[in-house]
Amino acid sequence: MPDDESTESADADDVVAYDPASSEYDIYECPDCDNVVLAVGSDDPPMSCHDVPMERVSDVEMSVKSPDVKQVLFQSFGLPKAGLDICLCVIGEGPLSANDVAAELGYDRSTITRYLNKLVDLGLLRRTELNREDGGVVNAYHSVDLDRMRRESKAAWASAYGGDEE
Amino acid sequence: MTVTRRDVLAALATETDADRETTTSVGALASALDADDRAVEGHLRDLDACEFARFDATGDVRVTITGEAFLELDLDAEDVAVVDVETDDEER
Repeated sequence: MPDDESTESADADDVVAYDPASSEYDIYECPDCDNVVLAVGSDDPPMSCHDVPMERVSDVEMSVKSPDVKQVLFQSFGLPKAGLDICLCVIGEGPLSANDVAAELGYDRSTITRYLNKLVDLGLLRRTELNREDGGVVNAYHSVDLDRMRRESKAAWASAYGGDEE
Repeated sequence: MTVTRRDVLAALATETDADRETTTSVGALASALDADDRAVEGHLRDLDACEFARFDATGDVRVTITGEAFLELDLDAEDVAVVDVETDDEER
């Protein structure tokens, strides 16, 4: 199994710089708005944005405006405002109780619980049940540690199949 | 000195024990953290709401087994962490 250093090295190798001379892909930008499109293969039919032909980018120094995080979450995951607020407003504050979050954001606690579970379903949060001293459990919602998940998956694979998964 | 809620929980877990139910005072915990008493007590009240800390009748406090289990998740400081505790009304 590769160690962390070789994994990081492999990740760094995955970075690809835009090469306008490549015939494998092209980047087009709209002359009227911020829309940028990556086209793989031939440009047929020609790329267009709101019925205006897009222009092929030939400058590697092109600047792409960073998208708004809320807009990305909304468009990618279909999260409404309450889900976005919960996702973005509790980072680094914790541990917080769901009641604290509800009071801070002005939502019902049931709304907080519903969207926490929605965020779990979307893979943006992880839910862990913790035992209560007086019986029962409390649900702790926390960030998904992608690096740890990758390490644990590799270890589980190695344990199950007795070797490297790659 | 500014102290985070996670710092307070970690210190509480060091100074007390859930199984043996050993406790500490808010003042002693604040001294251990070199932090303001009121700031530490505020965090402890919030941790109590998460069932990670428990006050006794004298005002002393200890970590709970729930708090110890939460620390074992070993989350980073910037990670999201929300604890949803069911109320008695919901359990009925």
